[in-house]
Amino acid sequence: MRFHQGLMQMRRYATAVTLRQFGHAHTQTQTQAITHARRGTETTVVRTLASSASPLPELTQISDNVQRGNYAQLNDKDVAHFEQLLGKNHVLTEDLEGYNICFLKRIRGNSKLVLKPGNTQEVAAILRYCNERRLAVVPQGGNTGLVGGSVPICDEIVLSMQRMNKVLSVDEVTGIAIVEAGCILENFDQRARDVGLTVPLDLGAKASCHIGGNVSTNAGGVRVVRYGNLHGSVLGVEAVLANGQVLDLMSNFKKDNTGYHMKHLFIGSEGTLGVVTKLAMLCPHVSKAVNVAFIGLNSFDDVLKTFVSAKRNLGEILSSCELIDELALNTALQQFKFLNSPISGYPFYMLIETSGSNGDHDEEKINQFISQGMERGEILDGTVSGEPGKVQEIWKIREMVPLGLIEKSFCFKYDISLPLRDFYNIVDVMRERCGPLATVVCGYGHLGDSNLHLNVSCEQFNDEIYKRVEPFVYEYTSQLKGSISAEHGIGFLKKDYLHYSKNPVAIQWMRDMKKMFDPNGILNPYKMLN
Amino acid sequence: MEDYKFLFKIVLVGNAGVGKTCLVRRFTQGLFPPGQGATIGVDFMIKTVEVEGEKIKLQIWDTAGQERFRSITQSYYRSAHALILVYDISCQPTFDCLPDWLREIQEYANSKVLKILVGNKTDRDDREIPTQIGEEFAKQHDMYFLETSAKEAENVERLFYEIAAELIGQARSKDGTSAAAAAAQRQSDGGGSIGLGSLSAKAAQSNCCGGSNSSSSGNANSNSNSSQGG
Repeated sequence: MRFHQGLMQMRRYATAVTLRQFGHAHTQTQTQAITHARRGTETTVVRTLASSASPLPELTQISDNVQRGNYAQLNDKDVAHFEQLLGKNHVLTEDLEGYNICFLKRIRGNSKLVLKPGNTQEVAAILRYCNERRLAVVPQGGNTGLVGGSVPICDEIVLSMQRMNKVLSVDEVTGIAIVEAGCILENFDQRARDVGLTVPLDLGAKASCHIGGNVSTNAGGVRVVRYGNLHGSVLGVEAVLANGQVLDLMSNFKKDNTGYHMKHLFIGSEGTLGVVTKLAMLCPHVSKAVNVAFIGLNSFDDVLKTFVSAKRNLGEILSSCELIDELALNTALQQFKFLNSPISGYPFYMLIETSGSNGDHDEEKINQFISQGMERGEILDGTVSGEPGKVQEIWKIREMVPLGLIEKSFCFKYDISLPLRDFYNIVDVMRERCGPLATVVCGYGHLGDSNLHLNVSCEQFNDEIYKRVEPFVYEYTSQLKGSISAEHGIGFLKKDYLHYSKNPVAIQWMRDMKKMFDPNGILNPYKMLN
Repeated sequence: MEDYKFLFKIVLVGNAGVGKTCLVRRFTQGLFPPGQGATIGVDFMIKTVEVEGEKIKLQIWDTAGQERFRSITQSYYRSAHALILVYDISCQPTFDCLPDWLREIQEYANSKVLKILVGNKTDRDDREIPTQIGEEFAKQHDMYFLETSAKEAENVERLFYEIAAELIGQARSKDGTSAAAAAAQRQSDGGGSIGLGSLSAKAAQSNCCGGSNSSSSGNANSNSNSSQGG
């Protein structure tokens, strides 16, 4: 029961004081408390299990009729071996719910063992042993994924990276930071900020997600429009392969054209080719002036025009361009009374952030951008501020939107890339298709990256609505040549739909690569490829 | 493009807590938000009004009064067609700060900008600034003057409608076809200050008489026409 109460508390207040991960006292707690105090945030979003009030889901192996792979069964000898290797404290065999259940409470695995290695050598020793014994392993970071990629499906051993949480170095001159995979994104960012740098990645789950998980899933977030994705920012990785070999692809340089660029194989391969243990990240300088505008618009057409205008007028300082539709905003406002929306009553809202080096210049540009938008009748209402507290307050609205949708209901989440012109149509189409079966059908997302988060929520997961939504959403996206997973990845939930975005030849090569890196298939099975 | 004849940008400034946001909310949404918190940064909104049968769009910028929240205020002065400087009639310090605000306006705003001094909160019975003092200050500084109550919705509509009427008059006096062109011409109009001077006297007078919206709008308009003649 304590577990559940802990979660409730966390989700209500999400303060540093109550910060625990999945009910387990967490080594990070103190560091985070300091981080939060420094930033003065009292309600940092901590992403954790959804719908804490709803009952546990059925074991996924049963509900989804998964055929267990031909792996060995874990025995006492194995556990004893790991205890000897890592020390008893770092081998868990009880109270594993938090490691077995995914963030959305959609997947529930049945792992009996969680391992917490403290360094690369221990990860290597674990995988070597598992490979020889044919024991399946699922690498796990902050468990904030949305496609079931970081939880066991059957009884895979959970390889939790949470002890490998150190920022090894941050170079002020080059902007390159070396960090262990299990470092929480927000802590990493704080370390970078201490020397005037920032991690070029920011997303709602920052207070719990691990940088290693971010890299393994090529996480996107709200800064892609400014800094590009992780294939550009990650200069090097260290990964442990299935056979225990350590593949050192670290680099301290932006430029290195020697041989195949293998690091990219580990960015976005969701732990199926190797376990990322360390990485080098190119961190940009913190912007001196950050301003956020929250604006109300009457139509999606106006949203598009405003986006184009933002690129034209704010070009080099535009650091975020997010869309929230009315239903998404209202749901969040209903669920979280501490949120204050500066404006209301519009079908669409945009959050536009600028980051620049000269405050006066930036103000000038924003002023012009807003004035022109209002003159053309595209921007109707809104607020703009550079005051850090207000900036944070506005961002909080955006960050709580996804959580509002799962607070009291089950939510089908889709993360698709669509051509901007057709960006929002699918929300209307889906609303029509679901009718009264859905409580909320809404869209929000990273307009600047053509990335829409389509959400369909209902009181409880049920087959009827599921069949209305899937595979329709994938077919629709595929017809528009969009991506069925823009940033969340494929994981377990979307592996049957991979073919909508990748052709058979590509998928066959993926299979061949998987076989080469992991011939026994022990790394994150049941994911990515079916 | 929407159908409207003129678009004017109006910026509200003044000390924190004098009721700038409440004036705007009363005008744009018809409500008085109790316990309105301090504005941080700048709020902006569009309100379409009809004056003399013309559709006019007012672009209203509601700025933060508190120094520490005023990170992005100054750049908003320059392109303003009208500046509303607000004080609280029941709070002497907000009146005492007016010269500081005028200095800022002088520094950043166009010299021909239409300036309106507004004494807000006439609903309060602990008045500290007599109407006459406000009026005199406005006259001295070539400003239009009006006392309002956002709470009681007194003179709020009139404030914005008269500004609109005055700006239309100025725009027309230069035979501008578009609002932008009219504004540009208006700002290069050397005779503007004469018009403003006479208007502020007129406005003060009409305030005493408590004239209705439409009649005072008409007055404002004819007034500016006459200034063109002169």
